[in-house]
Amino acid sequence: MISTIFEQLAGNIARLGEKQIVTLQLGSLQIQFDKEAIIMTWVVIAILVLLALFLRRSLRQDVEDRPNRTQAAVDALIGLLQGQLTSSFSSEKLAKELFSFISTLFLFILCSNLLGVVPGLSPPTQNLNITLGLALIVFVISHVLAMRAKGMKKYWKGYLEPLPFLLPLNIIGELSRPISHAFRLFGNVLVGTIMVTVVASKFDPIILPVAVNIVFGLFFGSIQAFVFAILAVAYINVAVEG
Amino acid sequence: MLEEAQAVSSGISGADIVLAARYLAAGLCMGIGAIGPAIAQGITAAHALDGIARQPEMQGTLFRTMVIGQAIAESTGIYSLLIAIVLLFVI
Repeated sequence: MISTIFEQLAGNIARLGEKQIVTLQLGSLQIQFDKEAIIMTWVVIAILVLLALFLRRSLRQDVEDRPNRTQAAVDALIGLLQGQLTSSFSSEKLAKELFSFISTLFLFILCSNLLGVVPGLSPPTQNLNITLGLALIVFVISHVLAMRAKGMKKYWKGYLEPLPFLLPLNIIGELSRPISHAFRLFGNVLVGTIMVTVVASKFDPIILPVAVNIVFGLFFGSIQAFVFAILAVAYINVAVEG
Repeated sequence: MLEEAQAVSSGISGADIVLAARYLAAGLCMGIGAIGPAIAQGITAAHALDGIARQPEMQGTLFRTMVIGQAIAESTGIYSLLIAIVLLFVI
């Protein structure tokens, strides 16, 4: 049983480079999807939504009651996120507005990275399109918030500072942020998958692949989800303040 | 003598040389590209530990800042990783 799973995993190494592309024709517009990534993204969304619905039901209790186990666990998770995120925002108002967005980002990436531990499933974050999409959401939000916080005139003037001829450098600096943000998550998750597949196909398929899977899937997966969320906060802070 | 050398060299085609160059380049790219991020991450962790040893109550903030610094230092390593992957799988 286990050996067949790992034989499958070793077979994955041959198709690491190739993707199953689905093409959708909408009038003259041609849209291409990576089937695996789309399906896995919907799996992650379904897991998170079902978890939220299930947890909400068990949270319905009077305020005076002693909290049950589920409530205590969710409280601990939210408290941890709040403790880490709230103090890294530049202002209280910003933290209040963006806490739900950043923690959703964190939970989505965490859930998709942890799915990579299950043999046969591929984490959706190993697709560059998805990480780039997440990074672009952060990019747009940071610029919209910067326009709102500084006002249009001051925002556009910010590109001409400190000296007007540095305008191209400023624009490149802004554009490189979502790219490095996306590539960081993508590279880390992809190399985890590659390492697990290589080790599973070359070495004794019981002990070493499991250890590599735990290190790359669970440890680096959680660290990278945290880093992505914290960097999103840092980029938004820089855009709003600077 | 010359005929022998020609016979040996004819076993290696241009595609083989390209393949060998790809693997060599991918290995060099990862090996050299990992030096910079490794040094940077080590320095970051060392200074963060200094800070934590001096002020243990600042541990949360220092840890978070350390993780951000290491993640940013890591990006050049990630870029060389992507180039290695492109060399291995895409070209």
